[in-house]
Amino acid sequence: MIVGTRKSLEELQGMVSGYKKILLSGCDTCVAECASGGRREVSELAAALQLAFQLAGKEVVLKESTVDRQCIHEFLLDVIDLAQDYDAVLSLACGAGVQALATKLEKTPVFPALNTLFIGETAERGLWLENCRGCGDCQLGYTGGICPISRCAKRLLNGPCGGTSNGLCEINLAKDYDPPVPCAWDQICARLQNLGVLDRLFNVKPSMDWSKGEAGGPRRVVRPDQKL
Amino acid sequence: MSPIQDLVVLACTQAVPDPAALSQALKQFGLRGRIIQEPCSSKVEAFQLLRILATGADLVWVVGCPEQYCQLVEGSTRMGFRVAYAQSYLTELGLEPERLGLSRVAAGEPEGLAAAAGEMHQRAQTLSPNPARPQSKA
Repeated sequence: MIVGTRKSLEELQGMVSGYKKILLSGCDTCVAECASGGRREVSELAAALQLAFQLAGKEVVLKESTVDRQCIHEFLLDVIDLAQDYDAVLSLACGAGVQALATKLEKTPVFPALNTLFIGETAERGLWLENCRGCGDCQLGYTGGICPISRCAKRLLNGPCGGTSNGLCEINLAKDYDPPVPCAWDQICARLQNLGVLDRLFNVKPSMDWSKGEAGGPRRVVRPDQKL
Repeated sequence: MSPIQDLVVLACTQAVPDPAALSQALKQFGLRGRIIQEPCSSKVEAFQLLRILATGADLVWVVGCPEQYCQLVEGSTRMGFRVAYAQSYLTELGLEPERLGLSRVAAGEPEGLAAAAGEMHQRAQTLSPNPARPQSKA
């Protein structure tokens, strides 16, 4: 899932301050799971902005709307219709959702209410951790299901650095993480040992192809069998 | 400081089985409030608290059960987190987080209701009317 957090109310007010009728559009998939952009959060933000505008003595009309997934164009049809009556849209989706909506609303400004942060998982209630960087050359089969690119602070692929200590990454010395950041390579070694394949790490692998990741420009996937 | 006018109480039906008893307790302090019954205090969402303030309430209060007695086990605990979370929105807005509050009362105990009413009265004394009320209600 994609994880994001809400922008500050000050920043959001600044973005939409010139508009009288604003549509808030949420997404009930990833950002609902991380409690930042789903139906509830749309209602929270609408009420908070209403309070903010009323405090400032401004009359603004706010409308709430949420779709199952904002990155799917077919799901946006109702929002697009609704948006015709509004001056601006504040989208609580991830960056992909904001852009999908903006593509369909050429004459209506669409603003992001969230800062999209990472691909991750719900580690426990109230805690979301990054565990995928979309590198395009997944090494998880080799590393026992623990990603060294997203979970190692240095993205090391050859084993731990000298900074690992008691199973923790040296990044914990720079900042107080709660819970502390574990050393991904310590975890990888423990996992491979449990699987009985620790000696796999002695095999020399070819270098990773980084051009499949961020270095290769905007990426795409084309599937002719999926086209009509 | 002019007195606040608009108190809204969201009350768990287990904690406050008889809203009239809470109304009576509030009346002892010269307070009148709208009491909304909830099946559990955990039914109260943060956005509801903010929305009630946005419609012009001066003070919004949630009454739940003591945490260890909540019939839904975690409900009262979750309510506490949500009130705190909604308060953080108020702080961010520059509004007093004290406009939201909570009490925990064991199964309609008269002393508990009186104590809760006392807490609401005490809080109301520290607040002026909601500066963010809509112009139509000003």
